[in-house]
Amino acid sequence: MSYPLELKDVVKRFGGLTATNHMSFEVNDGESLGLIGPNGAGKTTIFSLIMGEHRQTSGEILCNGEDISSLPTYARIGRGVCRTYQIPRPFSEMDVLENIRLGLMPNNLWQMLTRNPDRYREIELALSVGFSEDDLHRHPAELSMGDLRKLELARTLATDPSIMLLDEVFAGLTAGEIAQIAELINKKRAEGMTLIIVSHDLRSLEPLIDRAIAMNHGSIVAEGSFAKVMADPDVRASYLGGE
Amino acid sequence: MGIRWQHIALWLAFIVFMLALPELVSKGTLRTIIFANFLAIFAISWDVLSGRTGYISFGHPFLVGIGAYTSAILSYRFGFPIAASIPLAVIATMIGGTLFFLPALRIRGSYFALVTLAFMELMYQLVQVIRPDLTGGTRGMSGIETITRGAVNNYYLSFSLMIIIALAMWLVMKTRLGTALSAIGMNEESVRGSGLDTTKLKLAAFMIAAFIAGLGGAFYVHYLGSIAPRALFDINFLFTIIVAALIGGASTIIGPMIGAFFLTFLLEYLRPVLPGAERYFIYGGIALILYMYQPKGIYEVAKQGWSRLRAARAGAGP
Repeated sequence: MSYPLELKDVVKRFGGLTATNHMSFEVNDGESLGLIGPNGAGKTTIFSLIMGEHRQTSGEILCNGEDISSLPTYARIGRGVCRTYQIPRPFSEMDVLENIRLGLMPNNLWQMLTRNPDRYREIELALSVGFSEDDLHRHPAELSMGDLRKLELARTLATDPSIMLLDEVFAGLTAGEIAQIAELINKKRAEGMTLIIVSHDLRSLEPLIDRAIAMNHGSIVAEGSFAKVMADPDVRASYLGGE
Repeated sequence: MGIRWQHIALWLAFIVFMLALPELVSKGTLRTIIFANFLAIFAISWDVLSGRTGYISFGHPFLVGIGAYTSAILSYRFGFPIAASIPLAVIATMIGGTLFFLPALRIRGSYFALVTLAFMELMYQLVQVIRPDLTGGTRGMSGIETITRGAVNNYYLSFSLMIIIALAMWLVMKTRLGTALSAIGMNEESVRGSGLDTTKLKLAAFMIAAFIAGLGGAFYVHYLGSIAPRALFDINFLFTIIVAALIGGASTIIGPMIGAFFLTFLLEYLRPVLPGAERYFIYGGIALILYMYQPKGIYEVAKQGWSRLRAARAGAGP
């Protein structure tokens, strides 16, 4: 059986540091998986490995049964996998619509030259993540952290993904903004999107996931329902310290 | 593409003004403008690569030099007609551009700038020692066939070339390709994260820049009628190209053109007052003040001035 995304015995070493230590897990179709763990547990490294921003030292990453380990990032995105970043990375001198335009672009120079941008789809995406019409021509410097996260979600959604990796989507947001992003994630879940969500905000994360994996020192500490994982003594120790 | 009639009207007005210029100014001034036209071509080429993608090239004369030397050697040594030597020179420059591109796969920032500077210096040395019977060694070549004669004809030729390149680049930069190239300069990782192959995009920028530099270099050598390594592979020539693009306004098409004209005329008008290298102090000082005031260059200063004027007019209205 093939999964939308599967990691098999993945190891990543940065010099003497093992950031990912023989990790194996899979995500089911339409599932929302929470990846939790203390700072430095290796959660973001997993995302970077899945996207091909870093190459694993050993192991395999499979997408719908296909080994994507040697593919460049754009080819992985072409297969429907995409991610957001802990710190949003907008194009600073472009407005909201132009930022989204990048995500909608075909990876083909000739089409980039000859075809006009799809303005309707750009606006549709911007409005779908909660921007108002007044925001469409705002530049990143004029946006709040919540808006920057929405912008990143819109640009990522523009690549037409089937699997989204969301890295610390709630970091630096107000309660209202968290509710807005959570609603958006729930909408995507209802549409059948496969999700992996990394968050330190466990309270906000809990209602958004079907299953959780707790990590520490690059390894899986516990796996299962959110309640089961949080009750695990090793997980509690990794968050709180001690034995 | 976002082209408005005001843009087209402004371009047309500029072209009409420039075409009428030989009737309005002296031949000496025309010769100065010819240099400004060529400098604008080189600055546009630099801007396509460095102004957009953020890969700062310190070796642009390397590309200009390949174009100039190839066309000069083919026509002067092998008797090729200019109509053949120029296209071949452009192809040679694009091959050189591919070499130039290789470091960009791995490095960026100041490291990339230094590697490109090394390309220029390497070319300077190689031209003198490898086959000086072809390149003319340190002395270069003179008596190279020219395309046309006289200040007016050369003015029209250089202006036509410059305006065709500028308009073509203006149109290209209005497309999504232009947006993607500018996006690389803002955040290359995010472009990659948007599902785009940045290697392919950067190669496109390098090829376009090499095409323009090669074309400009080849026409330039057939205007001058002579070529020498120190005149081309020179740090002053390099900085004049870069400063023209930056002082005018990088990441725009009109900016490098404004910068090229501003610099050429500034240096020319300073010549009677300061005949030596001191002129460069003045031009360095002006560039510095302008950067401190507005890092986006003269074009941005003009744009802001125009907006303020419009706002003031609107405020004064009924």
